[in-house]
Amino acid sequence: MASKPFSARALTVTGWLYLILGYGLLMLPILTLVIFSFENSRFPTLPWTGWTWSWYQEMFTDGTLIEALKASLFVSPLAAAIATVLGFFGAYALNRFEFRGKQPLTILLIVPILVPPLILGVAFLGLLSRVNLQGQLYSILITHVVILLPTAIALITLRLMQMPKAIEQAAWNLGATEWQALWRVVLPWTVPGIAGAFLLAFTFSFDEFVIAWFVSGFEPTLPVSIYNFLGSNLSPSLNAIGTLVFLLSILLLVGVELLLIPMLLNKPTRSR
Amino acid sequence: MRLSLNRPTRPPDEASLLKYFCLAPVVIYDSLFFLLPLLFLVWIGFWTVENYQAVPGFSLTNYIDIFSQLFSRSRYAFAIAQSLWVAATTTLLGLLLCYPFALALAFVVPPKLQRFALVLAIAPFWTSYILRLYAWQTVINTNGLLNTLLMKLGLIDAPLQIIFTQVGTRIGLLHYLAPIMILILYLVVCNIDVTLLNASKNLGATTWQTFWRVLLPLSKPGLVYSAVFGAIISLGDVLSGIILGGGTGKSILGSFPLFSTVIFNEYAASTNLPRTSALATLLIGIMVVILAAGLQFSAVEE
Repeated sequence: MASKPFSARALTVTGWLYLILGYGLLMLPILTLVIFSFENSRFPTLPWTGWTWSWYQEMFTDGTLIEALKASLFVSPLAAAIATVLGFFGAYALNRFEFRGKQPLTILLIVPILVPPLILGVAFLGLLSRVNLQGQLYSILITHVVILLPTAIALITLRLMQMPKAIEQAAWNLGATEWQALWRVVLPWTVPGIAGAFLLAFTFSFDEFVIAWFVSGFEPTLPVSIYNFLGSNLSPSLNAIGTLVFLLSILLLVGVELLLIPMLLNKPTRSR
Repeated sequence: MRLSLNRPTRPPDEASLLKYFCLAPVVIYDSLFFLLPLLFLVWIGFWTVENYQAVPGFSLTNYIDIFSQLFSRSRYAFAIAQSLWVAATTTLLGLLLCYPFALALAFVVPPKLQRFALVLAIAPFWTSYILRLYAWQTVINTNGLLNTLLMKLGLIDAPLQIIFTQVGTRIGLLHYLAPIMILILYLVVCNIDVTLLNASKNLGATTWQTFWRVLLPLSKPGLVYSAVFGAIISLGDVLSGIILGGGTGKSILGSFPLFSTVIFNEYAASTNLPRTSALATLLIGIMVVILAAGLQFSAVEE
């Protein structure tokens, strides 16, 4: 360990400075959003002209953004739930069984996340408009499940891989059927993975713009409504809704910190 | 008499229905709502439009029209070049900015604080992307926070034109990419065996040599994943190019829109689905070529 203390120290200091700068840039837009939702002037810039609640009032009286938020809060949890349930069964089968064509199947299940939403948006619209399913909240729901499935499957697989195979085998040996073992042993073990997958899926869906823009009609989700707002009348209501969304994000983040991060940092303990 | 010792450690019934029960829903769902739409997309690209109605058929009209406008009118070639340029530079910048961040996270932050630091770094990902872009608008606007601040400090005389250029586009994209790149790189760096780094030092390597010859090569999977992720997102993203890039943002190539913006705006203006589908199919082709080339390149280097 002959590295010079000075250079090691300089490296540490540089590292900290870099981290502070990095965190500053990462947080800058979010802080801007929250702070300027209370700024008096219609144009969010310096100098500061005073505090106000009026943008929150405007957001609620205008109601467009709130309606969109409601639509999003209907679509996203539902899409995330469907994706998580389907994903759990898929992940379980992929993790436990070996069969012919497993690899191409895995690729099929993962590849939707590699296709840009722009392309999927056009594709979904093409298909849905042929069967007259476009322009409804359900259209967004159906299509969001597709892009949420890969992350759900990936995260739940990660959790399943951390499960010692012996647990399930012990259940079989003790007389449980496969279904019972799945329901009463594997499922409880996977709960953190399922919950983490749900949170991530919810976030993806809640934030998804392009697909929703293509297939939505008169019931836009929040990102689409915000986009329409940006095009027409810039208003600090956007900052106000942003602050609301930010509060929701903090709740999600706590869940992520409790569920997702431990799972990602855990090393897989695969035993047969 | 059933002896538990004689029991198989696997259910004897390998051909049980469980496998099919578990796999069927996802397979059917993805076939119906993923594969089918994609095939449909490619097919619709060959349709035509008559009286504002899409007419099924097989015609090369859309493609002939698109290729005839590569350098004139819609100038698709320039948009594609702009997309490639912005995506390449953004991905490279992302790696250059996020890799040191991930290293600092792994080696400078005390282990007890690392988990919290990681959550903080990926926090922006959990807030709305479009709202973050709107907030960046507030920051980099001509009379926005950054310019006001710099002018008050007397560092610049005239406002910097960042918004509605491809620099703006890159800022938005980088803010989207950074949390994920940091996460990927951090996880890979964390899984590197520390004894290898210590061994390198004990054998007399300088910090720089240890970094260049041991740490960097071991980080390669993380760098490749991050680069692939960055390229896919940058090529496919619509919002940053419109909200911060202003549609036709200026770069050193000139004031051309991104190809993704072109596709999005053309549909918004014309609702010509067959032609939009043809353009989207073209984008798929471009991305497949780039990804194949990129992965080939990173494999050859090894």
